[in-house]
Amino acid sequence: MAGKLRIGVAVKHGVDVVLTRADKATGLIALAGAPRKTSDFDKNAVEEAVRLRDKHGGVVTAISVGGPNAKEALREAVAIGADEAVLVTHDGWADWDTRAVGRLLAAASRTLGGFDLLVLGEGSTDHFSGILGPRVAGELGVASVAYARKITLENDLLLVEKDLEREVEVVAAHLPAVVSVGQEINTPRLPTFLQNLKASKKEVRVLAPEALGVDAATLRPSVVAERVRVPEVPRKLTTLTGATPEELAQRLREALASEGVLP
Amino acid sequence: MSDERVLCLSEEAGIAESLVRLARSLPLGAQGRVEALVLAGAPPGAADRLAGAGADGVTTVSGAESGDPQVVAAAVASVVESLTPTLLLTGSTKRGRELAGRLAGRLDLAVVTGATSITLAADRLTVERETLSGNAIATERVERRPALVAMLPGFDAPRAAPAASVTRAEHPAPVVAALVEVRERRPKPGGEVDVEKAERIVTIGRGLKRKEDLVLIEALARALHAEVGCTRPLAAEAGWLSDDHWIGLTGHRVHPKLYLAVGVSGAVQHLVGMRAAKVVVAVNKDPKAPIFAQSDYALVGDLYQIVPALTKALGG
Repeated sequence: MAGKLRIGVAVKHGVDVVLTRADKATGLIALAGAPRKTSDFDKNAVEEAVRLRDKHGGVVTAISVGGPNAKEALREAVAIGADEAVLVTHDGWADWDTRAVGRLLAAASRTLGGFDLLVLGEGSTDHFSGILGPRVAGELGVASVAYARKITLENDLLLVEKDLEREVEVVAAHLPAVVSVGQEINTPRLPTFLQNLKASKKEVRVLAPEALGVDAATLRPSVVAERVRVPEVPRKLTTLTGATPEELAQRLREALASEGVLP
Repeated sequence: MSDERVLCLSEEAGIAESLVRLARSLPLGAQGRVEALVLAGAPPGAADRLAGAGADGVTTVSGAESGDPQVVAAAVASVVESLTPTLLLTGSTKRGRELAGRLAGRLDLAVVTGATSITLAADRLTVERETLSGNAIATERVERRPALVAMLPGFDAPRAAPAASVTRAEHPAPVVAALVEVRERRPKPGGEVDVEKAERIVTIGRGLKRKEDLVLIEALARALHAEVGCTRPLAAEAGWLSDDHWIGLTGHRVHPKLYLAVGVSGAVQHLVGMRAAKVVVAVNKDPKAPIFAQSDYALVGDLYQIVPALTKALGG
């Protein structure tokens, strides 16, 4: 690695899963116009990028691929500690699919001069394809490690604890590399009022796909969501009451006995 | 209508077989084919089992013995070049998604992960998948081929008769330098409980104040012949319980007869893990806790008073 460490971190301004409501009659969710927020895992990615910079020096550039409101996610990244913010968008933006986002992130990485380390969240809170990091690395032809729960950097050697379902792997790779992180890796800091205020004034560099050498016409969705519905799970919603905990417990015992679910 | 050539691969032998059966159940056309891949690390007899599951062709890749997904992706990509599949199927496991991503970046594929079912009709490929942290099901239309679909383990895979004749082939993997080196591999602690198979589960959330108070929950679980489950903060963050107790989107998905959530607020990522429970009981001191909207029986109150009473009342 020549010169100072260049860290890129991808942030998504995704659909807010908690605030999104299904239509009561149809059970369908309209994603267009749904409330959005910074994807949970991406805050861990920004936090990790900032910690690595604080330890090893360098510059952290937050990149978001999305609509104009994604600036909010970028400002949150700046409030956490990112140095620069880049938004890749275009007029008439409609949700790009994972393929388009992957291609644009790879193109951004090339165009912005190449990152030594690109950090992403393991998946987004809304869509959770869980493949973006390896996808970008596959397109760039660089090393990738997913599911990172600990990252150590020794000069240009990256050591990562990789969290799999039944095992943990310790893997090593030389930079440049793409790492996607799980939520276990850190607890993202809550920016102070002043940090938020400062971040709100930060200029966001806005780039169109063409500025990255990508023809927007080739970003037509490869996968289109036809509909999104909430599976109906009918629940009884019965509140049990009792004058004492013992009485309450007795009510539950009776209810569960009639359900036939007691041992 | 053109014929489909489906290539099935997974690092998990059981999932690979299920993928073959799933592919066999799709209308692939008269000349349609189901191909299966045997990768390094597959158990002995894997090729025979994939043939038995209904594959028309089984290709055994030699080489590519690496923990670097890039090396495995290069091997699969070279098989894709020779078999020219229209559809690739893999498992939506962590390794499966990692390989899917590498392959997709390399071959510019359309990808759907977390898929629960596939429909193929008149060249139209539609996939149902979990979305919004597992709380909704999206129906997605695939507009680009070849496509890669990663199936969430547990998908329906009807049994099929073996093909009349099975082509067997060896495919030497291209030699590529690994960019990632595995230095150590250690199994995760735990393994003493299997919440996915439990009939009754008592799950504890952040309402528990101290690790020592777990004895209260364990006593209730014993009285109910139940396993102890927990939410993400207690496993991944506090480490009070091992990951095999963790129920939720990135933990385990459970389907017990009785699910008793104690001091669990009901974060969306947790709700997806317990959605399939038959009867849900929630104990929480906050009457507005989201868990109550997903419960059959709500008990509003202090868990430190209610749990001992429940242990007494529900035991025997």
